[in-house]
Amino acid sequence: MNWTTAIPEIFLSVAGLAILVFGVLRGRYSGPGNALVCSMLVLASFAVAAILIIGGNHGIGYNGQFTTDAFSSYAKLLILAGAALGLVLSLDYNRLEGLARFEFPVLVLLSTVGMMVMVSASSMMTLYLGLELQSLSLYVLAAFARDTLRSSEAGLKFFVLGALASGLLLYGISLVYGFSGTMDFNVLARSFADPAGVAPGLIVGVVFIVAGLAFKISAVPFHMWTPDVYEGAPTPVTGFFSTAPKVAAICLIVRLMGTPFGHLLASWQQLIVLVSIASMVLGSLAAIGQTNIKRLMAYSSIGHMGYALIGLAVGTAEGVRGVLIYMVTYVFMNAGTFACLIAMRRRGIALDKISDLSGLGRTDPMLAGWMTVFMFSMAGIPPMSGFFGKLYVFLAAVQAGMWTLAVIGVLTSVIGAYYYLRIIKVMYFDEGGEAFDRRPMSLSVVAAAAGLFTLFFFVFPAPFVGAAQAAARVLFG
Amino acid sequence: MIYAVAILAPLAGALVSGLSGRVIGDRAAQAVSIFVMVLAAVCGSIAFFSLANSDMEPAFVSLGSWVDVGTFHADWDLRYDTLSAAMVAMVTFVSTLIHIYSVGYMGHDKYPKYRFFAYLNLFTFAMLMLVTADNLLQLFFGWEGVGLASYLLIGYWYDRPAACAAAIKAFLVNRIADVFFAVGIALTFVKFGTIEFNSIFAAVPQHVADTYAIFGGSYPALEVIAFLLFIGAMGKSAQIGLHVWLPDAMEGPTPVSALIHAATMVTAGVFLMARMSPVMEFAPTALAFVTFIGATTALFAATVGCVQNDIKRVIAYSTCSQLGYMFAAAGVGAYQVSMYHLITHAFFKALLFLGAGSVIHAMSDEQDMRRMGGLAKYAPWTCALMWIGNLALAGIPPLAGSWSKDAIISATYAAGSGVGTYAFFCTVAAAFLTAFYSWRLLFMTFHGRSNADPHALEHAHESPFVMVGPLLVLAVGAIFAGWLLNNWFIGEGSAEFWRGSIYNLPGKDILARLEQVPTLVEYLPLGMAIAGIALAYLFYIANPRLPVRLADSYAGIYRFLLNKWYFDELYNAILVRPAMRLAAFLWHTGDARLIDGMPNGLAALAAGSSRETVKLQTGSIAVYAFTMLIGVVALVSVFLVFR
Amino acid sequence: MALQAIAFYLMAAVTLGSGLAVVSARNPVHSVLFLIAAFFSAAGLFVLLGAEFLAMLLVVVYVGAVAVLFLFVVMMLDVDFAELRGGFQRYLPVGLTVGALLLIELLLVLGGWKLAPEAAVLKLSSTPGNVSNTAAIGRLLYTDYIFLFQAAGLILLVAMIGAIVLTLRDRKTSRHQVIRVQNERAVADTLLMVDAGLGAGIKTLGIYRPLVETPPQGRDPVAATELGERRS
Repeated sequence: MNWTTAIPEIFLSVAGLAILVFGVLRGRYSGPGNALVCSMLVLASFAVAAILIIGGNHGIGYNGQFTTDAFSSYAKLLILAGAALGLVLSLDYNRLEGLARFEFPVLVLLSTVGMMVMVSASSMMTLYLGLELQSLSLYVLAAFARDTLRSSEAGLKFFVLGALASGLLLYGISLVYGFSGTMDFNVLARSFADPAGVAPGLIVGVVFIVAGLAFKISAVPFHMWTPDVYEGAPTPVTGFFSTAPKVAAICLIVRLMGTPFGHLLASWQQLIVLVSIASMVLGSLAAIGQTNIKRLMAYSSIGHMGYALIGLAVGTAEGVRGVLIYMVTYVFMNAGTFACLIAMRRRGIALDKISDLSGLGRTDPMLAGWMTVFMFSMAGIPPMSGFFGKLYVFLAAVQAGMWTLAVIGVLTSVIGAYYYLRIIKVMYFDEGGEAFDRRPMSLSVVAAAAGLFTLFFFVFPAPFVGAAQAAARVLFG
Repeated sequence: MIYAVAILAPLAGALVSGLSGRVIGDRAAQAVSIFVMVLAAVCGSIAFFSLANSDMEPAFVSLGSWVDVGTFHADWDLRYDTLSAAMVAMVTFVSTLIHIYSVGYMGHDKYPKYRFFAYLNLFTFAMLMLVTADNLLQLFFGWEGVGLASYLLIGYWYDRPAACAAAIKAFLVNRIADVFFAVGIALTFVKFGTIEFNSIFAAVPQHVADTYAIFGGSYPALEVIAFLLFIGAMGKSAQIGLHVWLPDAMEGPTPVSALIHAATMVTAGVFLMARMSPVMEFAPTALAFVTFIGATTALFAATVGCVQNDIKRVIAYSTCSQLGYMFAAAGVGAYQVSMYHLITHAFFKALLFLGAGSVIHAMSDEQDMRRMGGLAKYAPWTCALMWIGNLALAGIPPLAGSWSKDAIISATYAAGSGVGTYAFFCTVAAAFLTAFYSWRLLFMTFHGRSNADPHALEHAHESPFVMVGPLLVLAVGAIFAGWLLNNWFIGEGSAEFWRGSIYNLPGKDILARLEQVPTLVEYLPLGMAIAGIALAYLFYIANPRLPVRLADSYAGIYRFLLNKWYFDELYNAILVRPAMRLAAFLWHTGDARLIDGMPNGLAALAAGSSRETVKLQTGSIAVYAFTMLIGVVALVSVFLVFR
Repeated sequence: MALQAIAFYLMAAVTLGSGLAVVSARNPVHSVLFLIAAFFSAAGLFVLLGAEFLAMLLVVVYVGAVAVLFLFVVMMLDVDFAELRGGFQRYLPVGLTVGALLLIELLLVLGGWKLAPEAAVLKLSSTPGNVSNTAAIGRLLYTDYIFLFQAAGLILLVAMIGAIVLTLRDRKTSRHQVIRVQNERAVADTLLMVDAGLGAGIKTLGIYRPLVETPPQGRDPVAATELGERRS
């Protein structure tokens, strides 16, 4: 039994427990300082975990339940980066909103462990447990501002609908298990070597599994929770939701479709195409009428997941490479955007209306500049990183001859560009309000880091493309 | 090399005065413009005379590669042969004088003047590129460049609606012709695989039998090419049908009319015929057409010129008519003769225009000849110079016009062909009318009773020396050019002078036969001219009522002529108005409804769908859950249907 | 065999019927009771499968803890059940349609169900013959499935953290036991010796305890609060 494969996860879990104990011992009531120290400790453990992942060995452990390979390492590093960015974003926000409690970083850490387990899962049971560990932490985080009605409602909705999604997922898993008698991904893959002999009930199981996972990446029609939860949850939590968990879920789907169901491409391709198109269309259309910027970001993330799914729908190594590159660009531009959104505060009150951004070009040109970079990137305008994300998935679609998908993708991104550009217009051309409060250092750092990444991705795409290529090879040789 | 300096100096001038005119000021910009023009004129003249007087071989000045795509090559090369060098010398010389004249003429203009001089420089450069081009593409570059400069200069007074309309008209009419020209170039490339002049000319004999299928028929390729090129030339040289822009172009400042619409640009078409003579010579049908159009234009424009009252328009129609002469000569194969007339015409027509400008200047911008008369005593120099110009134009020996124009008339007679005879009669009749309208102009302007506004007359004065000086130089040219150049252009020394830059089919020795025409033919033009002058005297000095009565009794003909054969009205009715209606339709229906409607409709659709999609977002968990379940059912159904 | 079949169908029918009753019962208390019935019959099904440990677990955990907790919650919360019913009726047509469609589709698919030929081989872990069912589960759980077991533990931990984070409040009025303070209390802090006059009982003083205007220095504020509260 090759237990060393899970060393980063074990380390993080133990670290999480230790930090929890540390926080409890320092006292619940010792103020925001405690939360700050715990957050720093969590960030440090993320860093250590990242080193462990880079240095760790690849292989299958725990009776085939847990796999580490180039794909999982890539995804885990991205997850850790997203989680770390999300955590940094929350530092000052939580302090200002009176949410600075040490459980917050611990929950972020535990959900990160869940995500890492997800992307390493090579058994249905591992998949499910990782998913639940992640989801449960997220439910709690969504309701973290428990004294505001919207946050509690967000947590509750997320929980109830998440439970429904888990039900669908479990039903699908049970169908697959019932028809194949195994939960091990590799064994499943071997037993599907001849797609013709696969029972239709098993495919229905796959459909249910896809539905359950589509909920996690908020793909249409399982997206309904997204706008409400994004709006209700505290803004840094929303930022966190839209980065790391999305990476984990989409990587999980990719692994699932690649390894156990890889031979059934013809059966699930149609589903992914449909879900992808629906997400792109709804994501771009529904965002137009929004006035709340967090809701807008919710629809934006729905749309982005649609684009990422194009890569999966193609079902080739190029497509998956596109997905992985897309997720990298997505995580950074999203984290940067949320850094800008969290900075929206006047006289201590957090704001979330698009109109609140008006006049930002004059009152805070730096912030408006970064926001412009992120919006251009989201809209997919070169040379921002978002353009390359889209480029690689569209390229893969075109190479595979899936013209419809690529054309719809391009059309919807044109529609989508409208609302991203509208934000820029509001910032620079609308009659301005008064200036925002002085923004904390942490936000400036995240915005600048993500902004530089987004802006200069085109200079150094090679390492990312190379890593994504290697990762994609693992699943779609 | 000195030749390149002559061509590139105006470009430098245009850049300096155009880009930094605002900074360095009008005076400095004018100084720069004139300096570069003098430099160009000196270099151009040296280049021309050194080529004419020595046995130097024609050469090329390579300026660099331009286009190099597949088998398509076009370089920036300056062609240095007699034809080009003569044009360069003429253009730089006339242009320099007009630059100097402009300093006086534009002196009272309310706009900053650096713009005007930059445009003039730019025009000169484009014209030089045109005449020195070594391939059709570079020629086309110059061709379009002069068109652009012409547009800019006609519309120079951009706050006058008439000027803007004239500028647009000139541009559009030229554009129509340019389409044919461009197609001609393309066809040349298709047939010859090259657009370099030397390669084309060398390959012509191999392509005589080529045909080109178009409009359901098969035609000799060379004929089609020649036709297309000639239509391009018709536009630029304002031949009948495409002449309508030239009279309107007189809305521009008078120096512009003199430079562009008399001396240089409009002759580009004639130059093109001469340049392409190795191709044209193998296209007899096209050549006959050239003669026909040229002769018709010569007569038509002359008739119209007889009844116009605007002093500049009379000269404009005269230009049109003289260009017709040149084409008529080119059409019968006497390219040398047409080039000869081109050069002499440049002198006396520039002289006439500038003289007219001087009159206008003297009369405080009055252009209507009916409100002039008796100006001789106010502007004696101008009057004398105008007389010289008109004598030259009418072809009174020994002035320049008599040499070249008589040669053309003789050439049409000598051609001996049917169309040649037609051209002969047209040109002879036109010679009579030319003399008539020229003296009509002189008499109405300078002699007889003054009908001028007394107020304007008070201020009438002779123009300053800066304007009269160039007139004097041009007058010298108008007097002596014909005599001086005769030997080189069409006389004994012509073969050595041209040195193959103009090609004549062997055995079609039209130059030699010029001398063999009957004496009657030789003196017919002179007689016609004198008759014309006499008639003009009768009408406008001896019995001024006569023309009025004549106009009354033949009102139909008079109006027909006054309205320029109703060409503008015809075009308005069959082209402009339908086009406007089509445009309005496309605008209101096509653009506003369809093109705009589609994005607007799509935007509305997007917004509408946005509202509809968001409607589902009620906040109710039950609705959300049902949506998810319906989604699952839909996906399972999709799978069941499509598996 | 026949007995087993009869038992299976009986308990399966009870499970399904109870499940239906859970969602359709008018009284929520009845719903919870039906839920308990469903749990019991499901436990019976486990027993039929030979999984007696799981059956016991179901009864102990779900019936004994979860369902009883549900009962408490339902009885304690002031929920407007009429309103909930309204929702039920409103969504019934859609729900029935969706459910029926799903059922038809699943029947279509599962109609052609056949066990994969290698299913028996692929069976993950069969019960070894020489140990009891419970022992076998234990062995598996702590060896092959240790990773999943620990992950499940983390999930429970998260649930616990979540419950605390979302519900535990430190109001001003909430009272905490501070053991250190309790231990350090001296007699002098808590007892006040009052010299009551002869014959002057408590009644004469008019109070049960002496009225302390300001707590003496060094006294525990908690105790003082308690005193004050007791007084009012």
